[in-house]
Amino acid sequence: MTIEKNLNGAELNVKVIGRLDTTTAPQLEAEFKGNINGVEKLVLDFAELEYLSSAGLRVILAAQKVMNKQGEMIIKNVNDTINEIFEVTGFIDILTIE
Amino acid sequence: MKAKKQTSISYNFLKWLLFLMLIAFIATTMFLWMFQTRIANNNADNLLRLNITDVKADIKDATNDHMLEIVRNISAELDDIDADTASEEEMSARIAEMLTRYDVTEIDIINSKGIIVACNIESFVGFDMASGEQSKEFLVLLDGEKEMVQEFQAQSYDSSIERKYAGASLTNGGLVQIGYDYAHLQASVDHEVVSLTRNRHVGNNGRVLIVDQDKNIVSNVKGVDRKKLDLEAFGIKPGSVQTGQRVTANVEGIEFYCMAEMAEGYYIISAIPVKEVTITRNMVVIMAVAVEMLIFIALTLLVYLLIKKQIVVSVNRINHSLSEITNGNLDVTMDVRNNLEFDSLSNDINATVDTLKRYIKDAEERIDAELAFAKAIQHSALPSVFPPYPNRKEFEIFATMHTAKEVGGDFYDFYFVDEDNFAFLIADVSGKGIPAAMFMMQSKTIIKSCAESGMSVEEVFTVANEKLCEGNDAGMFVTAWMGILNVKTGKVLFANAGHNPPLVKHADGTYEYLKTRAGFVLAGMEGVRYRKNELELAPGDAIYLYTDGVTEATDLNTELYGEDRLHIVLEKYKDAAPQVICDEVKKDVDAFVGEAPQFDDITMLALKYYRKEDAQ
Repeated sequence: MTIEKNLNGAELNVKVIGRLDTTTAPQLEAEFKGNINGVEKLVLDFAELEYLSSAGLRVILAAQKVMNKQGEMIIKNVNDTINEIFEVTGFIDILTIE
Repeated sequence: MKAKKQTSISYNFLKWLLFLMLIAFIATTMFLWMFQTRIANNNADNLLRLNITDVKADIKDATNDHMLEIVRNISAELDDIDADTASEEEMSARIAEMLTRYDVTEIDIINSKGIIVACNIESFVGFDMASGEQSKEFLVLLDGEKEMVQEFQAQSYDSSIERKYAGASLTNGGLVQIGYDYAHLQASVDHEVVSLTRNRHVGNNGRVLIVDQDKNIVSNVKGVDRKKLDLEAFGIKPGSVQTGQRVTANVEGIEFYCMAEMAEGYYIISAIPVKEVTITRNMVVIMAVAVEMLIFIALTLLVYLLIKKQIVVSVNRINHSLSEITNGNLDVTMDVRNNLEFDSLSNDINATVDTLKRYIKDAEERIDAELAFAKAIQHSALPSVFPPYPNRKEFEIFATMHTAKEVGGDFYDFYFVDEDNFAFLIADVSGKGIPAAMFMMQSKTIIKSCAESGMSVEEVFTVANEKLCEGNDAGMFVTAWMGILNVKTGKVLFANAGHNPPLVKHADGTYEYLKTRAGFVLAGMEGVRYRKNELELAPGDAIYLYTDGVTEATDLNTELYGEDRLHIVLEKYKDAAPQVICDEVKKDVDAFVGEAPQFDDITMLALKYYRKEDAQ
């Protein structure tokens, strides 16, 4: 998994490429922990996300909780596979997907 | 902090070795240079001195022989004279006559008491020979010596006068003495001196010159020259020539080492080109430097190779083994034993690794024991006796859980909430291992207590969610699917908290995914409300619940087992009992996965409904 991030003022854009699973989720979690302070808009680009496990969902949920307090979080370019996971797990109800 | 550039041991060693060798090299070269210069100069001095001494002796011999012959003849002629009694007039007359004939500067007749009784220089008459150092020497002729000769020097009567004297005893007592001033001396011996330095070489290109007091060259390598010589150019100050003193002179652009000495009023100058003196020294030094360089290079290479062999290779071997150990291979033994230090280091490392292995083994054993215990607790918390309700004929149920690690985050559960309503559920905690297992136990307990208090299925999830959210700092969550079956009617009220949908078998034998809009996962966020859904089971229908460990089981090519394979195997065993269904699915998954390790817990629950009146 690779992470491309771009901080533009209070807007943080994060693009996740590859697999977000048990082994790679801590990497994204650390990335959020280090950069999320003062961010008012977090945009996650999942265009090239191939796989998402429950560990990855946990990190997304944690980010959503933080952003609920300090702004908004938007997930964009969600493909069918990932969208199905969001639907099955009910995440679709709490996430803002564009 | 500024990072120091790291260099290898052999490089550092080599650097210092070269530095020290350079110092040693410079020091020895300088010493050799000075030593050889000294030797060369000494040799030059000796050579110059030897030639001067030779020439000086030759000049002396020539003049001495010449003067002694004259004084001998004069003494013979005066054998009739008694110096003590003869009249001065007679003696003066004889002297005057001989002075011209023999062409000498001075003739003295001295009586037996050592007093000059006659001389061509009137003022000398009456001089007591014993009163002067120079003149006193001649008194030996009164004591039996026959003849003697002195060097050209200042005389006793008047030290401003330089003369060379020779004397001979007289037959009738007393003595006669002849003196040469410089002009007479030169005139009498020049013809002999001329040949003295002909073909005389100092070294290969050095020369000896004899120069008279008028600075004319009397003799050089070609014989007589008669040219004026610039004595100053040879570093010689007339009148103060220092015997044996080497001076450097530049004559017509060529550097010479020169030495000069006076002999009988002549300057004897021997000179040798500096180049000739130094060429030997330079050759010796260059040869020595070349040999030294070869030795230094050889030594440096030798030391470098030795260090490489003794240290660097060993260190690299140890590093290689250490990195293997770091990468987890604790069975590596260090065996670098080419010297005492590395032998000891190897032993220490081996001992450390052994200790580490023992600790790890101990820890593993302890953890294994604890995990086995935890596994037993977890499994005993799940209903595991089948059939669970031998008296109930309305349905048949079977469930299994295969954890990826000793303990897992999946669970299933079932129980009667009242006489006719039977609750069954399957759940999957995010994550694996001990944290997931602990959260699983908590979730299971909360859900069960809610369900047994008579809540409807959607209330169970809503309340359980609130409780699970409390103190969930780790951010874990649970997906769960729970149904409550009315065993009399076959009606199932169910709720889904983010779990993958179960498969339901219809009367025609086909399985279909029970796709309903799922609620959010449990423990994910407070305030979530869950919906209730309904399903009618006809007699013979079955419902199969599973966790994603089934469909996401992966083979060695990272291919997923998938929903289609599950669908096929379920339809293949559509009439089988729940236990057979579960076993066959597990077998099919195992066959698919092959040698690949299991990453996730595999949990499934199958329920087949018969309705009471149909039950046997």
